[in-house]
Amino acid sequence: MAAPTQPEPAAMRTPRQWLALLALAVAVLGAPPVAEPAAAARDRLVIGITQFPSTLHPAIDSMMAKTYVLRMALRPVTAFDHDWKLVCVLCTELPSFENGMAEIEALPDGGEGAAVTYRLHPEATWGDGTPVTSADVVFTWEAGRHPQSGFAAMETYNRITGIDVLDDKTFTVHFDRVTFDYNAFGIDLLPAHIERERFEADPAAYRNRTAYVTEPDHPGLYFGPYRIVEVASGSHLVLRRNPTWYGPEPAFETVVVRAVENTSALEANLLSGQIDYIAGELGLSIDQALAFERRHGDRFRVEYKPGLIYEHIDLDLGHPALADARVRQALMHGMDRETISRQLFDGRQPVAHSNVNPLDWVHAEDVPTYAHDPARAAALLDEAGWRMGAGGLRRDAAGTPLRVTLMTTAGNRIRELVAQVLQSQWRAIGVEVRVVNQPPRVLFGDTLTRRRFDGMVMFAWISSPEAVPRTTLHSESIPTPENGWAGQNYTGYASADMDALIDAIERELDRDKRAALWRRLQHLYATDLPALPLYFRADAFVMPAWLKGVRPTGHQYPSSMWVEEWRAAE
Amino acid sequence: MLRHVLHRLAQSAVVLLVMSFVVYALLGLMPGDPVDLMLAAMPDVTAEDARRLRRLYGLDRPLLERYANWLVAAVQGDLGFSRLHGRPVAEVLWQPLGNTVLLLSVSLAVALAVALPLGMLAALRPRSGFDYAVNLLAFAGISMPVFWLGLMLMTLFSVILGWLPAGGVAPIGGGGLGDRLSHLVLPVATLSVAAIGQHIRYMRGAMIETLRHDWIRTARAKGAGWGRVVLRHGLRNAMIPVVTILALDLGTLFSGALITETVFAYPGMGKLIYDAVMGNDYNLALVGLLLATALTLLGNVLADVAYGWLDPRIRQR
Amino acid sequence: MRLAPPANAPVRLAFRRFRRHRLAVASLALLVVIAALAALAPAIQAALGLDPEAVDLLNRLAPPSPAHPLGTDELGRDVLARLLDGGRVSLAVGLATALVAAALGTLVGLVAGYRGGALDALLMRLTDGVIALPLLPLLIVLAAVDPAKLGVPADLYRSEIAGVVRLVVIIGLVGWTTVARLVRASTLSVREREFVLAALAAGAGPGRIMFRHILPNVTTPIIVATTLSVGNIILLESALSFLGLGVQPPLASWGNMLTGALELIWTAPALAVWPGAMIFLTVLAFNFVGDGLQDALDPKAGQQGRR
Repeated sequence: MAAPTQPEPAAMRTPRQWLALLALAVAVLGAPPVAEPAAAARDRLVIGITQFPSTLHPAIDSMMAKTYVLRMALRPVTAFDHDWKLVCVLCTELPSFENGMAEIEALPDGGEGAAVTYRLHPEATWGDGTPVTSADVVFTWEAGRHPQSGFAAMETYNRITGIDVLDDKTFTVHFDRVTFDYNAFGIDLLPAHIERERFEADPAAYRNRTAYVTEPDHPGLYFGPYRIVEVASGSHLVLRRNPTWYGPEPAFETVVVRAVENTSALEANLLSGQIDYIAGELGLSIDQALAFERRHGDRFRVEYKPGLIYEHIDLDLGHPALADARVRQALMHGMDRETISRQLFDGRQPVAHSNVNPLDWVHAEDVPTYAHDPARAAALLDEAGWRMGAGGLRRDAAGTPLRVTLMTTAGNRIRELVAQVLQSQWRAIGVEVRVVNQPPRVLFGDTLTRRRFDGMVMFAWISSPEAVPRTTLHSESIPTPENGWAGQNYTGYASADMDALIDAIERELDRDKRAALWRRLQHLYATDLPALPLYFRADAFVMPAWLKGVRPTGHQYPSSMWVEEWRAAE
Repeated sequence: MLRHVLHRLAQSAVVLLVMSFVVYALLGLMPGDPVDLMLAAMPDVTAEDARRLRRLYGLDRPLLERYANWLVAAVQGDLGFSRLHGRPVAEVLWQPLGNTVLLLSVSLAVALAVALPLGMLAALRPRSGFDYAVNLLAFAGISMPVFWLGLMLMTLFSVILGWLPAGGVAPIGGGGLGDRLSHLVLPVATLSVAAIGQHIRYMRGAMIETLRHDWIRTARAKGAGWGRVVLRHGLRNAMIPVVTILALDLGTLFSGALITETVFAYPGMGKLIYDAVMGNDYNLALVGLLLATALTLLGNVLADVAYGWLDPRIRQR
Repeated sequence: MRLAPPANAPVRLAFRRFRRHRLAVASLALLVVIAALAALAPAIQAALGLDPEAVDLLNRLAPPSPAHPLGTDELGRDVLARLLDGGRVSLAVGLATALVAAALGTLVGLVAGYRGGALDALLMRLTDGVIALPLLPLLIVLAAVDPAKLGVPADLYRSEIAGVVRLVVIIGLVGWTTVARLVRASTLSVREREFVLAALAAGAGPGRIMFRHILPNVTTPIIVATTLSVGNIILLESALSFLGLGVQPPLASWGNMLTGALELIWTAPALAVWPGAMIFLTVLAFNFVGDGLQDALDPKAGQQGRR
């Protein structure tokens, strides 16, 4: 480059001025933005989410984005409602032993099974005019239990020993065991008139040939208030009112679900009017939503719903220090979760004292709790043989320092922040924590499933109301090379008491007795501390002032299952 | 010339083949497999389910065997199935490819349209105030993080001013040409800033070099007008190195496109590959990467052709 | 053996030419300041009483104050202290990676240029192939590779610093091509020079000739290309951070600070301005210095487009 002819100071100023200009542009964001698009007869709702659904087939793979979209177009037989009660959705009356629609029957091997009779809604009709019938139930079961169908969870289907078709709309399901949730039938039906042929031609290729993959806009695949009419992979899906829907007519003619991964960009899309509403199930993080509400609370309504997303830290119980329950309790006392919740989440995410959400009916009030108490933590650590040494770091008799690795999902900023706060709080009680983050696909796809973590992992479980923690706490669910790394008891927690409680809860039909068992389970959990409870996450629903009727659920059945109640009102 | 192009194409095919194996092996080195991810997402998958699914997806076979199977199928046109999108890979790729080619070509055109005249004018008056300003602009352009620039532009033009859409390729339900173009403005602006900076530098350098040659002075002495000399002789010769570099820069441009697409939720190849890698979608990641490589290799061959067209000495070969 | 021409005079000449490039000189000064700040970060933090890791949840997103000259971030940590730490990491990544890439590229270029023949053709096809690759998608794959499957012990790759080393290695692995081509071209012209032929006649082995006689004479393109690449690598690190694959928190880099701040861009724009400005200015400065070096060391090539 040629020698500059202009004086040097000017040269150095130009980029700075320019930067300052951009900074200014950012700073004036508080100013009211341009008028939103004319409110002319809102017959379209554009929803923003952070993930694009993969396959639309209801039973292959599982991801929240898919569930969120499908709930507008398909309904399971039974589901949990806003009050976290099991209700009929596609059926007409919830079967029970009391109303005679369910009964206990003897199994050939001498055990007990359950026969449960469901009646499908008489007017339920696939979008192409074919009624939804018992034949669809039978087909779904047959496909589900076929070893080559590629359905992810065969267990659900394998528990069913047979299905009797009583008539077009009535059928009896025979389960091979009697559990307290014997009447739950949460599977989605597949349209036999479209799918059976494709399945029987080649079961192994079915997952690629299903109409949900090849013709996702086929009207016959959906019977809900909406059906999917356009799929722009990676970008958006368009749903239109389904004329065969038997329930109340939804208010919007069209619903568009648009995926924008970057949450800052998602916010920009909302503010510029390209999307109307950010779904809480897959939307802004809690601190972004809080900040958003402070700035735009006049135009948008933000609703927070703490739910069954249990943020916690799984511990490696084989770790020399963490194997001692006193060390685990000391770690609990060392955390100041109340302050974290108040300062980072405006108190919107309640502190968890066990794995059961206070909103769940089986939640017990009187479990041991761990307040922030560094003195108590220090005493516990002393007792466990970890004495304060040089540099404020605790060591055992052999001189080994108390050092633990804390891993969490890279890219989840809230978790990254909390990890750093905990690191600093535990440092104060003489525990050195090394924070190492991994991308979710590595953490969930490998480190956790193969139990290759050494210390602690912070993540969340999402569950349904009264979900029995068999897969996460039962000793048979510890992933090992022998069982192909199945199960989610990543901590390696093995407690005969816990196993017995889990088995007992599953089989206990009496609500009061079950509540007592649940109380014992929570007590045991809070004492043994296989994992450190942090808080229950809250979803933030960012809605325009005119959108009414969206009711967050707080559990695995998203708010979109009641999409027909949504409406625009000025 | 034709032979030369064919030779280059054959070379590119070899590079692609080698690349396919390297990437296939790399994907095999990624932690976990698709079934592991599924296990983590679904609590009720049992040990038996896991074994069954691994067998079903062929994940229990050794790497070389899997690669050979994949290659045989791929050559026959079966690119496999995308786990993430639940559709055949060939089907998934089509639209993003079109979107990315559009984004890249428009950005490149814009970049050249801005950079070539600026670079040329700067070269005509080296060390002038104008030259100095253009240089500063060029360096500023190549020194900015692309994602930051994208978010700033989005903030300014979509949120504060409300002039342009904040993302996507078109309004829902298609929309006219104008709509599509308005969706293209911000991504193109974001992507072309760095390219503008880059090409101003190249153009200016090449032009200065060319104008120093004796034959330029000779042409001028013969009475040809300065403008005519610059445009007819200077520009043409200066374009030769610029075109070479243009082709080499396609890979860089594609990298920028990946970021731009992520910021603007623009469904293109870059975002597709990124999502596929992050989601353990082996088939899609592999084919996506190969396609992106093929795209840049093709760009190189095209540049070769343009090079021959610009430089008569090569044309006659 | 003193067959190589004396190098003193050209250096002085180059220095004089570099000094004429005022932007490059200013940039160099800026870089020296930034590097000094980064190198002395612990001392500066101690002197100002700042702790980059001290979390203070009751004092989040505070505006600048005497206690916190640039305010605090979303965890109440001091932004200035973090910025200094981030500078250490970003500069270290940039410099280390550039050196790794330069070493690799030099080796490939020397061997290809000196040996020639089939080996040259093979290495150059390899170089062309790597240049044609779309870098970022490939880096994403490389960043996702599991070190355990390559036999690296878990203790090594799970330490905080391992993430940085990993970045250096993977970017270095794909970033060597520019240097390789430049070195090869220079080697081709140098290897026929008298002092090389003389060394050959004196019975020097190929290794000795390449590294003792040719290498000192091809340093110019290496220095220029490496300087220019430092800025690019800092940019690349920030892009990888944006995609969640860069330097991982709690270790701060300018890239991950900027990425984190962008999520809060609407609430606390100042948080994004600082790391953004540091990246921009540093990269700009490296580019100017590289440009100045090119003019100074290789005035003829400096007028050409470069790669």
